[in-house]
Amino acid sequence: MSNELKLKNQTVSQWVKSGDPWVWLNAGAVAICVIMVIGLLALIAVRGLGHFWPADINQGTYSLPGSTPYTLVAERVESAEVPAAQLREAGIPVEAHHDLMVRSLMKTGNRDVYGSDFRWIIDEYFTDITKPEMLFAAERHEWGNLYGYLKAVKEDGQVVAQTEDLTPTDSALATWAAFERSIERATTIYDDIHEVEKGEIGAINHKLERLRLEQRRLELNDELTPEKLADIDAQRAEQDALYQALQQRLIDLYAEINRDTFIVQVMDGSEHELQVAKIVRAYRPNAMGIAEKMGFYGSKVVEFLTAEPREANTEGGVFPAIFGTVMMVLLMTVLVTPFGVVAAVYLREYASQGFVTRTIRIAVNNLAGVPSIVYGVFGLGFFIYFLGSGIDQAFFPEALPSPTFGTGGLMWASITLALLTVPVVIVATEEGLSRIPRNVREGSLALGATKAETLWRVVLPMASPAIMTGVILAVARAAGEVAPLMLVGVVKLAPSLPLDGNYPFIHLDQKFMHLGFHIYDVGFQSPNVEAARPLVYATALLLVIVIALLNLAAVTIRNHLREKYKSLEM
Amino acid sequence: MSETTTHSIDISAMQRNHEALRIEDEKVCLSVKDLHLYYGEKEALKGIDMIIPEKKVTAFIGPSGCGKSTLLRCFNRMNDLVDSCRITGEINLHDTNIYEKGTDVAELRRRVGMVFQKPNPFPKSIYENVAYGLRIQGINKKRVIDETVEWALRSAALWDEVKDRLHESALGMSGGQQQRLVIARTVAVKPEVLLLDEPASALDPISTLKIEELIHQLKEEFTIAIVTHNMQQAARVSDYTAFMYMGNMVEFGDTNSLFTNPTKQQTEDYITGRYG
Repeated sequence: MSNELKLKNQTVSQWVKSGDPWVWLNAGAVAICVIMVIGLLALIAVRGLGHFWPADINQGTYSLPGSTPYTLVAERVESAEVPAAQLREAGIPVEAHHDLMVRSLMKTGNRDVYGSDFRWIIDEYFTDITKPEMLFAAERHEWGNLYGYLKAVKEDGQVVAQTEDLTPTDSALATWAAFERSIERATTIYDDIHEVEKGEIGAINHKLERLRLEQRRLELNDELTPEKLADIDAQRAEQDALYQALQQRLIDLYAEINRDTFIVQVMDGSEHELQVAKIVRAYRPNAMGIAEKMGFYGSKVVEFLTAEPREANTEGGVFPAIFGTVMMVLLMTVLVTPFGVVAAVYLREYASQGFVTRTIRIAVNNLAGVPSIVYGVFGLGFFIYFLGSGIDQAFFPEALPSPTFGTGGLMWASITLALLTVPVVIVATEEGLSRIPRNVREGSLALGATKAETLWRVVLPMASPAIMTGVILAVARAAGEVAPLMLVGVVKLAPSLPLDGNYPFIHLDQKFMHLGFHIYDVGFQSPNVEAARPLVYATALLLVIVIALLNLAAVTIRNHLREKYKSLEM
Repeated sequence: MSETTTHSIDISAMQRNHEALRIEDEKVCLSVKDLHLYYGEKEALKGIDMIIPEKKVTAFIGPSGCGKSTLLRCFNRMNDLVDSCRITGEINLHDTNIYEKGTDVAELRRRVGMVFQKPNPFPKSIYENVAYGLRIQGINKKRVIDETVEWALRSAALWDEVKDRLHESALGMSGGQQQRLVIARTVAVKPEVLLLDEPASALDPISTLKIEELIHQLKEEFTIAIVTHNMQQAARVSDYTAFMYMGNMVEFGDTNSLFTNPTKQQTEDYITGRYG
């Protein structure tokens, strides 16, 4: 009967009243957030993950007008359209009829031959492009990638296989097979050398250093009796003997590894003789099928995750950085949780809720907003220079003047970050404590429990999900923090992991690597920015994944606790 | 309170109170002397004098806000938890003033147990709920705890229902079971007095009945003080009843006389539903 119930011909004011615009606004805001997050992840994933794919190697003639044409052998890294006018301004004689031209960044490798790995070309003048199957790429321990044709493999200067062909003939393939065998052998020996140098000699150095410190300590305390000195010298002689043996073994291994060489013809036609020992891996991407490429891709990803960095961090893996990040975050968690919980318990349960408590609470909340670099400066000034040097004076006088804890290290970095994140834990724990129903506390008190027993046995377990929420937020913040770490112990390349087989196993005083700082270092401090850029994305993706995993672990624990105490919502 | 106006008190439920009770003949468990309690400026208890007889059930009735729960919470010093609360006068448990300085409040609360209006089991297993008070006392022998848990659960008439799921969470039980679990938990530490603060008000009629039966059994061993809104319940379970109004103890006497022959007009008005 009345038309007012019909929603047709609705006016704008009615539409506003209905609340629909708000729903659209909210949904729109959420959609924008989701798109931005997905976009971010997609960008770093695509750019980072593409790096490990074995790209085809192009061979062709590059004939820029006004210069001599030459053969170019290179991987295409990226392409972009640029206005021809811009190229003319840059002094490249481009013909007048061009408006837009495609310019590409090509990776030519062979830095030792040409002086740089990359060059920009204009696609228009890069012609006769082929992808010869025998063209190979080799990753090296230094000087970046090598591209060229294999001509011969030598053992002790004697040619064991050679070829004149640049196409996959029998002789070319046989030479390639010999090359691969030779690389495999060299890699095995290389691993042995690495093991001896890092592992066994490292352990001996560690023991010798401890002996030196022991002797110095005795000297400082005037306890160095001739017997003790003799004892130390005997031990030192023993270690020295071990060291000599290992040294001899190393000399043998080096002789072994340097046995093989190979001859490669690079793109300008010149031939070079190089040591096989310098090669990490060699592959012929143009001859690889999709399955082979995927296998290669997998092995590269594994290398990225498990190997140590090479070449100023621009090649190889990031394992020390992953390890450092995770270890630092775990240590931080172990430190921050008890402190935050204890502080929150005092503020919420024991302190009288007056002006002072309110002020402290406001101060704690504001601490969460202090820029992290300020914490870094504080960590450096207070923890390292004041506490650290105090600890050195008191406990490690024998090592002075070289500092033990008086310099940045894993422990100081963890403590600084714990300080940075403690407000988050306090706030979350207080929130959790305030939500424990009064009647449960009274139930415990009525049974003759003291306040402390009630807290310990009933209230804190029930508040544990909230505590875990605080820890999750703390982990999320700490794992991504870089600025303060630069001041308190992160380095671009740490000689060894902070956890190893040498007593006391966890080296809290050691400097360490961190994924966040690694991104900064590789991306902006690297001598070879073009080579490092994909690695920046890959490392960023990895950092996000590591943080996500750490959070996921904490969330799982929290959900488990929540399930256990879910009655709370009464 | 409209429903109480139409129902008369069920006298048959009080038949067991036949033998004439005389407060003068009872052994005194708790005695209250000139107790005043203030919340800030407000005086919530205005000079209470009474005794709680031993191994009997004493009920407190009265309209909301009359101070009966507040008084109950004085007996185990639960009001200490309220910051603005101030108390004068004394309460003696046997011969000790519980408000004397240096009183071990935790020990007092062990001796004077309390069950609250809403079931408040801990988020632990049934077994651990009952064992809680024992563990607090430092008793860790498994055999002792096992025996006490069984005894307490039997005392609370809960053993048969839960004996096969002792190690499941107490939060999975029904409200009535939870309340009996809380009673078992309180009984397990072997208190002298049980304070019940409207123990059945959040429960359905069947559970209420079970709790009332339980109270009847428990008074063999414990002195019981119960606060209730339900006058029929007070009539059914108690030996003595105190009627409170506006922080005053209006009338205190054996339940039979108080309900059938109140001496004060206010009491009569209240139990017949005409108060206020």
